[in-house]
Amino acid sequence: MSKWKIYTPDGYQDILFDECYSKRELESRIRKTFRSYGFYEIETPTIEFYDVFSSDIESFPQEAMVKFLDPKGRILVLRPDITVPVARITATKNKDVQLPIKYSYIGNVFRFNEIGGGRQNEFTQVGVELLGDSSCESDAEIIAVAINTLKAAGLEDFQIDIGQVDFFKGLAEEAGFSEKDIAGISRLIDRKDYVGVEELVNRHNISKELKELILKLPGLFGSLDLIEKLKKITKNERSRAALENIEEVINILGDYGLTKYLSIDLGMLKGPDYDTGIIFRGFTYGVGFPILSGGRYDSLTSTFGKDCPAIGFSIGINMLMMALGKTLMSKDRPGVDSLICYKKTNRKSAIEIAETLRKQEMNIETMMVAGSIEKGLEYARAKQIGGVVFIDDGGRIKVHDLVNNTVSETSIETILNG
Amino acid sequence: MRYLTIALSKGRLTEMSVELFEAIGIDCSELKSSTRKLILLDEKNRIKFFLAKPADVPTYVEYGAADIGIVGKDTILEEGRNLYEVLDLGFAACKMALAGPADLQGKIDELTIRRVGTKYPNIARNYFERTRRESVEIIKLNGSVELAPLVGLSEVIVDLVESGRTLKENGLVVLDTIADISARMVVNRVSMKMENERIQKIIDGIRAQLLLRR
Repeated sequence: MSKWKIYTPDGYQDILFDECYSKRELESRIRKTFRSYGFYEIETPTIEFYDVFSSDIESFPQEAMVKFLDPKGRILVLRPDITVPVARITATKNKDVQLPIKYSYIGNVFRFNEIGGGRQNEFTQVGVELLGDSSCESDAEIIAVAINTLKAAGLEDFQIDIGQVDFFKGLAEEAGFSEKDIAGISRLIDRKDYVGVEELVNRHNISKELKELILKLPGLFGSLDLIEKLKKITKNERSRAALENIEEVINILGDYGLTKYLSIDLGMLKGPDYDTGIIFRGFTYGVGFPILSGGRYDSLTSTFGKDCPAIGFSIGINMLMMALGKTLMSKDRPGVDSLICYKKTNRKSAIEIAETLRKQEMNIETMMVAGSIEKGLEYARAKQIGGVVFIDDGGRIKVHDLVNNTVSETSIETILNG
Repeated sequence: MRYLTIALSKGRLTEMSVELFEAIGIDCSELKSSTRKLILLDEKNRIKFFLAKPADVPTYVEYGAADIGIVGKDTILEEGRNLYEVLDLGFAACKMALAGPADLQGKIDELTIRRVGTKYPNIARNYFERTRRESVEIIKLNGSVELAPLVGLSEVIVDLVESGRTLKENGLVVLDTIADISARMVVNRVSMKMENERIQKIIDGIRAQLLLRR
């Protein structure tokens, strides 16, 4: 019996003191950034109906979702993301709220992932969603929030790649690809599989210029001047509009002063059904996966009964913490200022001192000791507490400074009066 | 400058990969000397090399532990990792094929296959589910896959076929080609962006080398 008792399930983790402290600090800096742009925080249920995440256009494979049944036999899931619940809310509870609506969230999501490399089955996602505005202004605002969130988190060296799925969709229309081909080729382009793309394109009878452009798609990434070059060789209306969209978004981000973080990748095609316009991903050194992912998903809310344009992004906090690495851990640590040790007879004054200091925003622990304070010193050293205060009989106080290894004497009055 | 890390498949791909990298001016001498060191350096170009089991190369690259990897298309298909496949190196070419007893030839469409022996369970499963739309029992084997149909363990096999000699000597034939296989260069999705200039230079250099040899 209970042979798994001492383990946590694969992909689920305890987060202990230092790490948890850094995580909360990080979350609060991110929350502050979200608020500064007027995104209000919401909570959605951890458990949702399976149907919420299983419409035709969202991209959660059923094998990636943690499922169980409610007492009526309906299928429930642990939410694999929070964007879809936000779409549900917008089309239902918030359907009469003045648009645009700006949401933010910080919450845990659940996916059956492969274990390792920072990818857990349960992880914390933070993100914002802007519903009811389809303008370039809103595209740019979301990207600006994304960049400033990473900056607020303490990340310096990172890059945001911007793509636009309509650029590819326009070319695919022009070429007359079938739905099946579009799905296949967008996957190949996203993998930068030049060989595969060429094989598939060669099966179609299309003009030489168009063919060359599609073959180039996997490599269409780099600096911002790429857009200007592409505008000269792009013929169809939809692809041209996509390029103009990116151009305008980059202009606006220039007004934010954030151009240096941007680059272009028109071969970025995450899930062609879900994404409908601009998409973007964030990268940094030292983490092999994108740390941030976002984009426009104008058709999602309609599956819940209301047409409403939408754009947002999310960051996996665990990935971000991996990227921040040791700098984060050394900057944000939980700490206790002093440990107050006392003999039973001096308890009242010890507690009085402790409570007074706590009200002055200090972190104080107390400990009753029998005769010597050796036990207190040992505990303080193990927990890296800077000072130990010993309240002796007759109001005499000894302060052990464990950082400089000194002992000094003082009185209750001196301590209480700061 | 950061080190670029390259993961090479240990085994039949090693020699040809090393040769290609040397041809574009990367120093692999440390790699060729019989050392016990696991990570080998080209200080001048700031490049690190390591040899890994082929099946592990896509994993190292996906997680960013290596920026670039050289690995067979068979391993890429089997491992199903999320990475950029940027170059077909052309060497170690062969086919991933469905094979079975000669008397099944031409009857593949009427046949209901129940059991498949293979070293590549994911490739076999994908082929039967997506291409043939059949549910089959996949039996994972670790070597001499040709044995399976001969002793009645499975009706057919999914395996790499190079010359076809082993098949022929055992009375087996290729029933269907699943994919063309050769050595590929793969790149981590983030490295491709963050170290684009250096990685692109390596890709272009090797592509030019491959054209020269054609």
